[in-house]
Amino acid sequence: MQIAKSWRQQPSNLRLEGTRCTRCDRLEFPAVIRCSACGCTEFEICQLSGKGEVVVATTVFEAARDFGEHVPYSAAIVKLAEGIHLAAMITDVEPRDVYVGMKVEMVTRRIAAQGDKGPILYAYKFAPLLMP
Amino acid sequence: MTTGIEIIGVGLTKSAEKWEMGLLDIAIRAAGKALEDAQSESPDAVVVANAFGGALGDQQNLALHLASGLGCCPVETYCVACDDASGGAAVRLACALISSGMHQTVLVVGAEKTSDALPDMLETVRASGLDAGREASFGFSPTIAGALGMQQYLNVYGLDKALFFHIAKVAHEHGATNRNAIFRWPLDEAQYLKSPIVATPLSVCDTAPPCDGAAAVILRKSKNGSGHIRILGGANVSRKRGIVHPITELTLPAATESAAMALKEAGCDVADMSLLELHDSNAFLAALSIEAVGLAKPGEALHRAADGDFSKDGKAPLWTFGGHKSRGLAPGASGLYQVVEAVLNLRGDAQRNQVPSATKALVQCLGSFGAQAVTHILG
Repeated sequence: MQIAKSWRQQPSNLRLEGTRCTRCDRLEFPAVIRCSACGCTEFEICQLSGKGEVVVATTVFEAARDFGEHVPYSAAIVKLAEGIHLAAMITDVEPRDVYVGMKVEMVTRRIAAQGDKGPILYAYKFAPLLMP
Repeated sequence: MTTGIEIIGVGLTKSAEKWEMGLLDIAIRAAGKALEDAQSESPDAVVVANAFGGALGDQQNLALHLASGLGCCPVETYCVACDDASGGAAVRLACALISSGMHQTVLVVGAEKTSDALPDMLETVRASGLDAGREASFGFSPTIAGALGMQQYLNVYGLDKALFFHIAKVAHEHGATNRNAIFRWPLDEAQYLKSPIVATPLSVCDTAPPCDGAAAVILRKSKNGSGHIRILGGANVSRKRGIVHPITELTLPAATESAAMALKEAGCDVADMSLLELHDSNAFLAALSIEAVGLAKPGEALHRAADGDFSKDGKAPLWTFGGHKSRGLAPGASGLYQVVEAVLNLRGDAQRNQVPSATKALVQCLGSFGAQAVTHILG
């Protein structure tokens, strides 16, 4: 995770910012520069609610490089209230306690660090919804 | 587009951890075997499928280096990097080069060297075939996506995890007699059930072992009465990227469309196939592939495997040399292994892996967790 790339992705990683097409109203996350439905290049910035539910989850025991510190961790497909699906880690709960349909909300957490001296990526994970 | 192209030579290396050989050496070995098999003069184009050579810190622009090593320069060279679909896409590109009249004889080589990388590094590089910004950067890899898909498959269809044993069983049954396979033993259910979990519910036995390997074919415009195996149809379909669709919808639209288009060009039906080589980098994608090409209805792939449909003497022999699961997964080369193995069967040269009276084969490889699918019909 290079520094410039991390900086570039801050709006989506930290604020769940997507885009809504001004022509066809299509909502996309992360933000796009050209609508994949109609080709329009004008958008409104749209911040997603960050609330959703777990569609399916797994407990990961063997991770890719930079993610070993989290093992075992819960990885899931989360469906947001706006209908957008995200691949994200589930946090603040034991992996074995994550279940299909669990209500969750976006929180900002440490995702990965590139070695001892490299940049740290902070971005969204999802935690059990505290205040329905 | 592919009609009228024949395969005049094939070659492959054993799938293994080849500590003594580099990526280029492996590619040269397979290419040399194909050239000997074809008793062909130098090709006038070389297409190389290699998914991760550059990312793993090995050779980039492998096609140029291969051509140089083979001593067939000057020649036109191309590299194809489409994740695990690289092999099929390279064959498709070679067909286009011949069909367009640009070239007469094209050498296509798939090669990959995975064993020099530590497992977590290899998983990172393999994850780069997914959406780098939204999936790989968040700790998701093809293996983790396969685990999520498998869990969803079990949830939606109300199945027991043990049923997935039958996918691995078929592959190992066939790989056991393939002297080029990395895993040459039949798998029993007890072994399968005690296999270590990688990501619930997916275990080591549900994933194909990464390995080093290369496979090659030589293509040219068909000549009447040559007797060579022909490419009867082909299609390369890319759909919207992302792991979400296969996991939530349990379908692979690109695989379905690619197979249908290739079969249509070949003028045949999936039921006409004597054997099939589908993508089985993990058991979830294997099950969806079976359903995508029409060998089973949604949710029934595991039952059909348990019924013996995919054994060598079954209704639709599958993974006749062990598939990626038992033969081994050399990502950029995997699509070429499928083609070479199918050709050996159609020529009657498959020895202990021979499907009796094989006349037609469907081979399909997937890239980026099924968002891309390349299918060829051989016969």
